[in-house]
Amino acid sequence: MPTRQRATQPDGATQPDGATQPAHAARTSQAARASQAATAKAQRQRPPEQYRSDDDPRIMLDREVGADLFEPIPPYPVRTEREAEFYTRGDGEMFLNVGPHHPATHGVLRLVLKLSGEQVVDVDPVLGYLHRGVEKICENSDYYHVIDQVDPLEYVSSLFQEWAAVLAFEQLMDVEVPPRAEYIRVLTSELLRVSSHTLFMGFLALDLGGLAPILYSFIERDEIVEMLAALTGARMLFNYFRIGGVNGDLNHEFLSRLGDWMSRAAKQTEANTGLLNENEIFVRRARGVGILDREMALRFGVTGGNLRASGVPFDVRRAHPYSVYPQLDFNVPTRLEGDSLARYLIRMDEVRESIRIIDQCLHNMPDGPVMAKLPRLLRPRPGRAWGAVEGPRGMLGVYAISDGSDQPFRFRIHDPSFLNLAVVPYLLPGNLLADTMAIVSSLDPVLGGIDK
Amino acid sequence: MDRSLKRRLEARLSSQLRGPVRQRHDQTEIRIGPGDVPDVLRTLHDAVDLRFEILADLAGVDTGQEMQVVYHLWSETASDWLRVIVEGISRDDPRCPSATFLWIGAEWPEREAYDMFGIVFEGNRDLRRIFMPPDYTSFPLRKDFLLPDDAARSPGAGVRHVERPHAPAVVAGDPAAGIRRAPAS
Repeated sequence: MPTRQRATQPDGATQPDGATQPAHAARTSQAARASQAATAKAQRQRPPEQYRSDDDPRIMLDREVGADLFEPIPPYPVRTEREAEFYTRGDGEMFLNVGPHHPATHGVLRLVLKLSGEQVVDVDPVLGYLHRGVEKICENSDYYHVIDQVDPLEYVSSLFQEWAAVLAFEQLMDVEVPPRAEYIRVLTSELLRVSSHTLFMGFLALDLGGLAPILYSFIERDEIVEMLAALTGARMLFNYFRIGGVNGDLNHEFLSRLGDWMSRAAKQTEANTGLLNENEIFVRRARGVGILDREMALRFGVTGGNLRASGVPFDVRRAHPYSVYPQLDFNVPTRLEGDSLARYLIRMDEVRESIRIIDQCLHNMPDGPVMAKLPRLLRPRPGRAWGAVEGPRGMLGVYAISDGSDQPFRFRIHDPSFLNLAVVPYLLPGNLLADTMAIVSSLDPVLGGIDK
Repeated sequence: MDRSLKRRLEARLSSQLRGPVRQRHDQTEIRIGPGDVPDVLRTLHDAVDLRFEILADLAGVDTGQEMQVVYHLWSETASDWLRVIVEGISRDDPRCPSATFLWIGAEWPEREAYDMFGIVFEGNRDLRRIFMPPDYTSFPLRKDFLLPDDAARSPGAGVRHVERPHAPAVVAGDPAAGIRRAPAS
């Protein structure tokens, strides 16, 4: 059995030249010890070449040289025209790294900001810190398992990913969903939309320095999440929708919690929005900041509340109706300003519409089964399908290709936050550093969905 | 299915279409070659009877024989989603014109398709990796990129190994060695 050599022998220590000396003679001189300590300290500060990440610009690494602290050039050659332009520093400009671990970046988003004084000149968002390869995993798991793989993508409103996935799969398999299941899907998703928008309100206020709204947001969210936990068994990753229906009918605890919440939801929403709508600091910091006009919003592919705040009434529930939305009565709120405040107000209007939809679902819900009859092993015919739903952040689509086997051949998730965040390099330049988080936050990105 | 959309597409794009316009459920599908991408997208976006203004999605696809780029578009003039499949992109040197001249927002999905499939979008001025680290050399969503372990497909994980287009790699020792294996075909 091989014995492990200790690094420092108590006696007979081996010197670098190979000569073995007795322990009492192995004392190195004061100068030599100091030099060793200095070398060790230098090695601690500067990790060996193979451990250094190529990803980080030197602003993160070369801390021992003061002059390099703001060295903008990444350690690898620039790869694109845009990167070369970004990392060329003009007169009086500096770089500031925000994130990836920053409380205001809604996950692990890293923004490399190019600043001139307090003013943002350019932004380079760096993604991928949360990349889990969900698409690859889904292509290697069967159709039933995909539903729980897509749950943790956008963890704030995971039912919408499930919905987009089952919508695409139902088209591949030509499954008819029972009407009661459709109503349950609408009901639970709209609840989650309320939860997500309320949370958005709290985080937007938090990024602008207001602590109180987030507490009220979490009260609201907790009630909804507990309600859904009574129905699905989980608080966040529900795994509730199934191909051809939902997993289990509404139960008593869910309905009693829902009735309890509905009795005060509208009033509570007004109280919550009153916290911010009448707050002068909030309104003055959000109004006229980060204006996204109609043309640019369309060219960037922005969807959801961000697009509707720019004056385009595009809501998948109306623009391309799915499920039972054609039978429900609700409005698509639209605003023309396109600034942070409009994006906030749109979402608060949507909360009111969602409460109306929930009310209609409860009154119109038909009786009947909640699942279609399906075989245990799903093997749809070869084909392609695209299912898109309106999530809280915009259009959430799934593109699935079947090759006739029991696993999707290609499974593509289009997350709205991804394109909503892509406008950041367009929106931020010209704004003050203090407004960057107000603007990024008003776009409501969730990095779990962006990084897939 | 939007029959009138099919007629309009056939009238406008008859010379560029490869194969018939297919319709199923609420989707209309056309296939074009990589050379026609700028013209076709421009026509779809600008023609008064089409006006596909919203780029819903841009996805790369590896069929095992060729690469494809798939656009999903939405227009208020049609009740269908339009799927534009750019087919016939070579797997060895995948190249496709960029859509950023029309939709700036295509920049990030194109970066993603480049990152995952290695498809080079000509005209995209920021085509670098977006999710994987910059020193990464593989393209993970290609069909010859196999997962390092077979756990996801083992019977113990509850997933039946029924039909696979490719056999799982037998990797001895280094689990990362399998993922850079040369294509089997």
